[in-house]
Amino acid sequence: MVDLATKSLLHDKLRFVITVSGVAFAVALVFVQVGLFLGLLDNASVTIEHIDADLWVTSRNTPNVDFAHTFPDTAVKRVRSVPGVARADNLIVWFVTVNLPSGAQEGSLVYALEDFRRWNIPWNVETGNLGDLKRGQYFFLDDSAVKRYGAFEVGEYREILGQRMKIIGRTRDARSFTTTPISFVDFERAQTLNPQSLQGKTTYVLVKLAPGADPAAVKAEIARRLPYNDVYTRKEWATRSRNYWVQSTGIGLNMYITVFLGCLVGIVVVAQTLYTSTMEHLKEFGTVKAIGGGNLEIYKILGKQASIAAVAGFLLGAFMAYAMQPAIAKIDLKLIITPGFAAVVFVGSLLMCLGAAMISFRKVASIDPAMVFRA
Amino acid sequence: MKVLEANGVTKQFREGRETVDVLRGVSLSLSRGEIVSLEGPSGSGKTTLLSILGCILTPSAGQVVVDGEVVDAARPARLPEIRKKSIGFVFQQFNLFPSLTAVENVEYALNVKGAKGAGARREAERVLDAVGLSDRVDFLPRDLSGGQKQRIAIARALAGSSPILLADEPTANLDSQIGSQVLEMFRALAKKEDRALLIVTHDPKVRTIADRVLRIHDGRIAAEGLAA
Repeated sequence: MVDLATKSLLHDKLRFVITVSGVAFAVALVFVQVGLFLGLLDNASVTIEHIDADLWVTSRNTPNVDFAHTFPDTAVKRVRSVPGVARADNLIVWFVTVNLPSGAQEGSLVYALEDFRRWNIPWNVETGNLGDLKRGQYFFLDDSAVKRYGAFEVGEYREILGQRMKIIGRTRDARSFTTTPISFVDFERAQTLNPQSLQGKTTYVLVKLAPGADPAAVKAEIARRLPYNDVYTRKEWATRSRNYWVQSTGIGLNMYITVFLGCLVGIVVVAQTLYTSTMEHLKEFGTVKAIGGGNLEIYKILGKQASIAAVAGFLLGAFMAYAMQPAIAKIDLKLIITPGFAAVVFVGSLLMCLGAAMISFRKVASIDPAMVFRA
Repeated sequence: MKVLEANGVTKQFREGRETVDVLRGVSLSLSRGEIVSLEGPSGSGKTTLLSILGCILTPSAGQVVVDGEVVDAARPARLPEIRKKSIGFVFQQFNLFPSLTAVENVEYALNVKGAKGAGARREAERVLDAVGLSDRVDFLPRDLSGGQKQRIAIARALAGSSPILLADEPTANLDSQIGSQVLEMFRALAKKEDRALLIVTHDPKVRTIADRVLRIHDGRIAAEGLAA
């Protein structure tokens, strides 16, 4: 079979480059915007995903993991007594002010547990022994703090809520949605940092289920015994934390608008170039009809050309987005492109280009094959 | 054996509120191996008649029979099928696909007619060889002369087994010498392959290869005779 669609598309190389560039721009825009958005959302739930808890007990209506509210730390005892609970511990997540050597003040989100290793947090320890946190006024600080605090070393001191504390370890990859650096402190030490708010209080109870326990049944029983708290599975809590930022701030809408505009640009570029190309090839399409080809024959040509533009544009756009990843990482942002997300963008690109090609279909349907006899 | 017949064909077009009679009861027939020249001044109805005989338009009244099949205006979807099966066209402007090589231009027409694969390629090479372009099969139209382009167009019309060849001013864009060569080659091939050939033309040279000459004037066949 002679591939008229491909040969005709590649015959005018400049137009082909313009078409592919339009698709690639749209694809790269969608990849970068949605990828950054996913990166931000990942920060919103990264600690939830890594902490080895099946259920989270929170105070009533806590909107997300960063914005915690307190409740009595004795609640953990009631949770431990529920059948199906293997272990349960208090977790404090609390915003504190840190005084830097420069005299500046910065924020930090403190995660406080009695035994961090038991709950797999922090999950990337670069230096230090988590067991030493109980031994004094110590804390671990995540590497991401460098951007706000400046360079720091293990062994240095920082003042947290007026208390001089020593950095005894550093971690990686622990992030909050607000980019506030995360530090790790022993649970009892955290309660003394801000006794007015935290003495005898916790902000979460982490629950690990016994093997074979029914999560729904255990969750329901905890909720029954703690009627003024909420209980979520890990997945529910991660979703709630992410949804808060999507729904309660403008970033979700902003992302949708950008994706819409990216698609619109792609559709307009592809539709415009394919339509112009169709207009310039009317006599050729008239010839196809005159020698016995129908509208379907020409629709196939346009559809194939649109598909080629979609595939080439997708590959170029994806390459551009991947190429931007190191630069984006340098400014401490994450560009997440998962295989599933890439597959959705690919299908979207294909549909976008085929939709754009359909604008030319009406013109093709109106071609009179008798035009081939006109000089 | 008659392969193309028109009986009392009329064609009317609407121009605004007026109805224009372009063809007024045209009757003609072509047999296999016969070459007919259709001449007439501009506006006489030549191209409209060619379009109707080529199943691109349907007559307002009268009947056209192509290769034994009555062209039925009530079944327009059938027209492309008749064109595929029975008719090969040669156009004044050649109408080659600029992105396809000579052999691909011919092969694509065969693909549209339903021939695929190596058989289509062999047939395309055969007819290009017949028109003397076996050494130009991989050339794009832009790299060929007007005469060579028209020979590709003729090869495209000949490809397959269409019994009817319809040519619209095939020499209009060629110089006199090349035009004569193309016509002579066209005649030889039509005769050799037993195809009926109708050439619509203003070019008096076409008479030299035609078996019959038809003159059309104001939508009617005004004169018919043997070529000089």
